[in-house]
Amino acid sequence: MNEPITMQLNGTTISWSGSPQRRLLDLLRDDLGLQSVREGCGVGMCGACTVQVDGQAISSCLLLTGQVAGRQVRTIEGIGTPESLHPVQQAFIDHAAFQCGYCTPGFILTVEALLREIPAADEATIREYLSGNLCRCGSYNNILAAVKALQSGNYSPLG
Amino acid sequence: MAVGQSIPMRDAVARVTGTLAYAGDIQLPEMAYARVLRSPHAHARITGIDTRAAEAMPGVLTVLTGADLGQQGAPARNYGISRADQPVVAYDRVRFIGEPVALVAAERPEIAEAALQQIQVSYEPLPAVFDPFVAQTAAAPELHANVAANRLIHAKLRHGDIVAGFAAADIIVEETFTSPAAHTVPLETHSLAAQYRDGQLTCWTGAQAPYQVHKLLGDLFGLRGDQVRVIVGPLGGGYGGKGHVRIEPLVAALAWKVGGRPVKLTLSRAEEFVTVTKHAASITIKSGATRDGRLTARQVTMTWNIGAYADSSPLLVSSGMVRGVGPYRIPAVHVDSYGIYTNLPSAAAFRGAMSSQSTWAYESHIDTIAHRLGLDPLHVRKVNLLRSHDHFCTGEEVHDMHVVECLEACTERLGWQQSAKPTAEGALRYGRGMAVMMKSTQATSRSETRLSLNDQGRLTIYTSSVEMGQGAHTALSQIAATAMDIAIERIDLVGPDTARTPFDTSTSAARSTTMMGEAIHQAADLLKQKLCTSAEAWLERPAAELGVADGVVYAIDAPHERLTFAEVVRRAGLTEISATGTAATKHGLDPETGQGVATPHWHQGAGACEIAVDIETGKMKVLRYEAASFAGRVVNPALANLQNDGNVIYGLGPAISEQILFDDHGRVLNDNLSDYLIPSFMDLPGQLRSSCVEDDGHVYHGIGEMTLPPVAPALANAIFDATGVRIRDLPLTPERVLRALTEEMSHE
Ligand code: FES
Ligand code: FES
Repeated sequence: MNEPITMQLNGTTISWSGSPQRRLLDLLRDDLGLQSVREGCGVGMCGACTVQVDGQAISSCLLLTGQVAGRQVRTIEGIGTPESLHPVQQAFIDHAAFQCGYCTPGFILTVEALLREIPAADEATIREYLSGNLCRCGSYNNILAAVKALQSGNYSPLG
Repeated sequence: MAVGQSIPMRDAVARVTGTLAYAGDIQLPEMAYARVLRSPHAHARITGIDTRAAEAMPGVLTVLTGADLGQQGAPARNYGISRADQPVVAYDRVRFIGEPVALVAAERPEIAEAALQQIQVSYEPLPAVFDPFVAQTAAAPELHANVAANRLIHAKLRHGDIVAGFAAADIIVEETFTSPAAHTVPLETHSLAAQYRDGQLTCWTGAQAPYQVHKLLGDLFGLRGDQVRVIVGPLGGGYGGKGHVRIEPLVAALAWKVGGRPVKLTLSRAEEFVTVTKHAASITIKSGATRDGRLTARQVTMTWNIGAYADSSPLLVSSGMVRGVGPYRIPAVHVDSYGIYTNLPSAAAFRGAMSSQSTWAYESHIDTIAHRLGLDPLHVRKVNLLRSHDHFCTGEEVHDMHVVECLEACTERLGWQQSAKPTAEGALRYGRGMAVMMKSTQATSRSETRLSLNDQGRLTIYTSSVEMGQGAHTALSQIAATAMDIAIERIDLVGPDTARTPFDTSTSAARSTTMMGEAIHQAADLLKQKLCTSAEAWLERPAAELGVADGVVYAIDAPHERLTFAEVVRRAGLTEISATGTAATKHGLDPETGQGVATPHWHQGAGACEIAVDIETGKMKVLRYEAASFAGRVVNPALANLQNDGNVIYGLGPAISEQILFDDHGRVLNDNLSDYLIPSFMDLPGQLRSSCVEDDGHVYHGIGEMTLPPVAPALANAIFDATGVRIRDLPLTPERVLRALTEEMSHE
């Protein structure tokens, strides 16, 4: 049997024993039932599987569970809930920044990280930062508008 | 009034919190998992399959092969929505690389995957053909019995005197345009669960046409309509690729063999590329024009590579014929549209079906004509564009034509006539281009709905329209709220579920808002009448003297005498009052001449852009893109413009990068998103603006596709404007642009 792996998932300590070679995506989605973490490509191109590890947005299809041992993992469930939306989630609604919504949790996690890391990012920087998340429905214009609104409103990333 | 307001999508909160369950998220008790063994040969005879070792593996429930099907009491071996030429699982022959040969059901996906390795299949390879022109030659293998020259479809349109038309022309221009196979790439791959228990088949699937799946499965299994149930949750993108019938027969047949337990199959990204593709097309277009730019004749020959099986191609290749001419008034038109079998995965609808390929041809072509005549391409379009009451080449009178307004909206915002494009600078060349489109929707289709008002005053819409991100359920709720004059918060929506929601042809060709919207209006009118009749006794007046507004029934001569909807239902001693509505169209064309009525209405759109091309690298940057579509009456402006934007971005894919590459054996080389690039934020034009052209009528026009087809020709026209080089093959990759520039220079 493998040594149990411990991580912080959305603020709760999770212990899991299984292969450290298992993809983080499969652990979250299949074993822990977090269906908001979605597979779109499996090769790190689409960002549908985005999670935050120690605050950084990253594709969970490229991570092995062994690599997140002892670290903080955050999924959209750790950002906001239907009862209490995070400002980034609210901005996505206000700006109609999605269609089918398959890419949306991944985008929101990336945008939340962007606004913490580079709060005053200019448009070129925003575009580049978000280019690892794909939206096949083509909601990019409205996502951009949501990000700009968050930048110009009194959204404070840490508050 | 709910119609006309930019309210958020119905389940917006679920979408931003990740709690929305897609088809692929379905979890059922006792669920088993499926994996598919696929053919490594493009064309071969199957000489033997041994599944014993796989079946003996612990955790494997069963293995399905073609040998299981076709006997008494089993599902049929072949299916097809227009022609039953496709095996559910291959039995004697395989016709493309990736064709399903066997299916495993197991306790876990990994076990099913491992079991595939244990299945032994022996093949006797046969000659294969991939090019539709070669496939029509005598030397080519015959892929299906009784289809001479592999030519499954030949749709014809004959209008006017073509000889006289060309004779009247001052110039005649002939060009050939190609577009390659592509993939719709919904981020959610095809996924479905099926269960066969006690003679009852249930399918939970991400399908755009629940009732087509329902009908086909009933036929395949010999079941009555009430023995088949198709339930469709929200889709993680559809774009045509989940239209008609895709992997449902495969999984349902496996569920039948498993017997009792549900089985789920989720396709990998790689499997998507062999499941459905966009038709590769070669279109030769020849036009005559007078010196002042008037079109006198047009002849179009379209060759569509339909792949190994008919699928929806018999319908689509015929639609392609109608969509191939362009929104122009041309006295003489001949079109021949051919659908040819090859040993490649089957082709089907791709957002803007057949219109993308044909718009690429006719909108590039009209710029060539304008250039040869030394005229402004905007002028040449406007001289020829159809207006309401003109006659199209099908002979039908067109109505609600607004292509001119769509085009003008785009060119004015771009400043086509008002401002000059930037001047060349270093290796950068600037150019502008435009394009229009006009697309038929389904000639014959039907949408039904049931509206039910309960004793709490809530209205439920029962509909089989599919929500795939386009906002159909939101738009339909807005229409119902307006038609019934109640608050949108009081509306619920159920469906699609063939056991509960009535018939609808499909959610495709941007038809839902129009057709389902009309069905809702009809049901609402009837429901209001029923409410008035029920209220007669209480308001002591005949129904004709009662009115309905703002959630109440009232006496017209004494508006303070009123009952809420909920009270009407309760006083009638009922828990609900319901009414149904149906919208149907029935049109069609003569098969020999293509004359008749092609569509109940025409979808129309336009685009105009400004680009920069780097002549040293071939790289193009879209600086500005202006898009417009005709929307009739706009239901939700924010969602409508999002559709328009989304179509432009989607259209950039096949325009600049997307194509499925096949090797010499018919194997897909780029079946992953590292090698098959779809548009990212980096491809978003510097400025992208969309608008809807409206009219005062009460007709809703679908807008799910209109701004997409103009993208590729608008870009190619801009490249021509920037560099003088005409590119006739998609996609417009930097390599292709660079090669075209180099060739042009070597000619000079
Ligand atoms: S599934 Fe991980 S990036 Fe696409
Ligand atoms: S909203 Fe559909 S992929 Fe982004």
